[in-house]
Amino acid sequence: MAVLAILRRDLNRYRRNPVRTALLFAMPLTMAAIFALVFGGGGGGGDGITIRVLLWDEDASLLSMLARGAAGSDSADSRLDVVPIGREGLAMMERGEASALIHIPAGSTEDYLAGTPIRLEVVKNPSERFLPQVVEEGLGIGAAALSAISRLFRPELQQIRDFMDSSGFPADAGVGRLSATINGRLRGLEHVLFPPAIGLETVTMPNESEEPQATNASILAFFLPGLAVMGVLFLAQSATRDILRDRESGLLKHLLTAPVSPAQYLSGKCLSVLLVSVLGFGVLVLVGWAAGVSWGPPITVTLLVVATAVGASGTLLLIMSLVRTERQGDALTTIVIIAWSMLGGAFVPLASMPAFVRPLSATTLVFWATDAFNTMILHGGGFADVTLNLVVLFGTGSLLLAVGAVILTWKIRRGVV
Amino acid sequence: MIRVENLRRCFGSLVAVDDVSFEVRDGEIFGLLGPNGAGKTTTINMICGVLQPDGGRVVIDDRDIWLEPAEVKRHLGVVPQEVAVYEDLTAFDNLAFWGSLYRLKGRELSSRIGDSLSRVGLADRAHDRVKTYSGGMKRRLNLCMGLLHRPKFLLLDEPTVGIDPQARLNILEVIREVAAGGTTVLYTTHYMDEAEQLCDRIGIIDHGRILAMGSLAELTRRAGEAEVLRLAGAFHDQETRDRLGAISGARVLRMDDDSAVLAIDGEGPGLLDVLPAVLDAGLGVEDVSIQRPNLESVFIALTGRELRD
Repeated sequence: MAVLAILRRDLNRYRRNPVRTALLFAMPLTMAAIFALVFGGGGGGGDGITIRVLLWDEDASLLSMLARGAAGSDSADSRLDVVPIGREGLAMMERGEASALIHIPAGSTEDYLAGTPIRLEVVKNPSERFLPQVVEEGLGIGAAALSAISRLFRPELQQIRDFMDSSGFPADAGVGRLSATINGRLRGLEHVLFPPAIGLETVTMPNESEEPQATNASILAFFLPGLAVMGVLFLAQSATRDILRDRESGLLKHLLTAPVSPAQYLSGKCLSVLLVSVLGFGVLVLVGWAAGVSWGPPITVTLLVVATAVGASGTLLLIMSLVRTERQGDALTTIVIIAWSMLGGAFVPLASMPAFVRPLSATTLVFWATDAFNTMILHGGGFADVTLNLVVLFGTGSLLLAVGAVILTWKIRRGVV
Repeated sequence: MIRVENLRRCFGSLVAVDDVSFEVRDGEIFGLLGPNGAGKTTTINMICGVLQPDGGRVVIDDRDIWLEPAEVKRHLGVVPQEVAVYEDLTAFDNLAFWGSLYRLKGRELSSRIGDSLSRVGLADRAHDRVKTYSGGMKRRLNLCMGLLHRPKFLLLDEPTVGIDPQARLNILEVIREVAAGGTTVLYTTHYMDEAEQLCDRIGIIDHGRILAMGSLAELTRRAGEAEVLRLAGAFHDQETRDRLGAISGARVLRMDDDSAVLAIDGEGPGLLDVLPAVLDAGLGVEDVSIQRPNLESVFIALTGRELRD
């Protein structure tokens, strides 16, 4: 009875404080939203990042056709958004409306075909770090390729220039001769070009942990579980903080003058912490689902959400039981949450961590929760694959809850609160 | 009846409550009077079962509160020194929650909430959040929470600290009404006038020990009906001090460089003889005030200190 009364009161307080409640959920939601916006949704690979490039083409000839053709190729069309533009492109760059501007000066094609050195200009957006660099590097590779072609096919390029200068269509015989010449020159170069001195082969490394291969999931799906687990820890932190507030304000002492035992009070608080954590995680699951993340079998996901909430509540309750003031509790729990999240793989995948750090991960509940969700989302796992995680989360969480409750009860009775 | 037997509680090396015993009879208002830090709150915390004593026991209605806490607490109302209410909830919500802990529900709960709030003049603010209340209003709500379930025993720990005179009068009036209805009241305070006006019997506590106990009349009698003479002047040299101490019929309770407090026992020469002797002794007295026998003079007579010290 008293337990439910305390639970109802806490829920009533959340209802009466919509702003506070919204703020409670804001952190994990904000982080999830940022990741969703940056990396895009979709469980099948996502849209990726598109580089917006302005093309100020004063040449309007062969080179610019090549540039547009390259940008419009199959491999690049989803990555490059090339916008033909005039001099006003400079003003757009000043306003930061694109990652880079490529300027092809007038007469560039003519000079190129004539063998005269030409100069292409790249204007980079200083507010972006990586995307302009990609454009610059890509253009550099293109320029190197064009330079090599220019040196190898100088006479043929001159002939093409003549064709372009002449009025009307070039004679069939001339085109045939040019074609035969290029073909002959390529045959002469065949032993140089083929087989390539350096080959490129993409190899997917075998999974060391013998886990099934990852499905084609989005970056959001990759990061969301870790962020959600961290978010739940912060939710539990906020909810358990109430216990310290009750202690410091005298509310707890007052409450214990009623027919309420410390165990009943703590049970009520634990239930409300659990409920808030489960609700918070549930919201994050829904956000992920809306963004295209496939979480896995609903019952297993529900069990995992509850197990994670139990783990988070137990951890936070134990810490709160060990400190004396709300300020101490805030500082210590924040450190633990951040450290656990980093070690447990919420920010950085375990595989990217130094070898000596990895064994430490298994000591964190973040690892067990994140690992379970990753198993289901990235590898299509089910209940059987996450049973150990569920046992660890439920078991450790319950144990920590019990220890925290015993310590708090002892403190309350001894007047340490 | 509330029976407190040999209560003792230490915090480290500090003995906060030392062998405290007293009884609060059914239907009476018993005051525990003492300065800040005397051990009043520690005593009341042990009586209401939130602080485990190192020794002694508390029996309420023939039940030991530490052996049968739930049963005893059901009949106990406590108004703590701190304003212990949820400020983000309304007064109604606070009382509804509190009532549910005592298994009150439905129409009865609503009716009691309405009655309680009317009694302390907060009915029209029932659905406002407590954080919008003044300090006095919060104190009155605090009182409501202790009364809602109509307890047989009401424990109040300095419920009027830091509030305006009007709110204070309201609280004292409600306590009188409750006691008149048969509730047994234990009231701690460091305000002498409150104890004098409100309490049927008073226990004077200092440094964790009960120094004296009884009705106001009994206490003043026990302290020898002593009137207290306060002197202002220069009492720093030993000769002056010796002369002051030698005045017949006066007992020096306290003396420092610029003030002295004397008790004039009722059985001695009396004020009319002592006062001229003091003034004629060449002590350089600059100001004199006389205090009739009351709790303050009793406390001074017992401890040599004033309640506010």
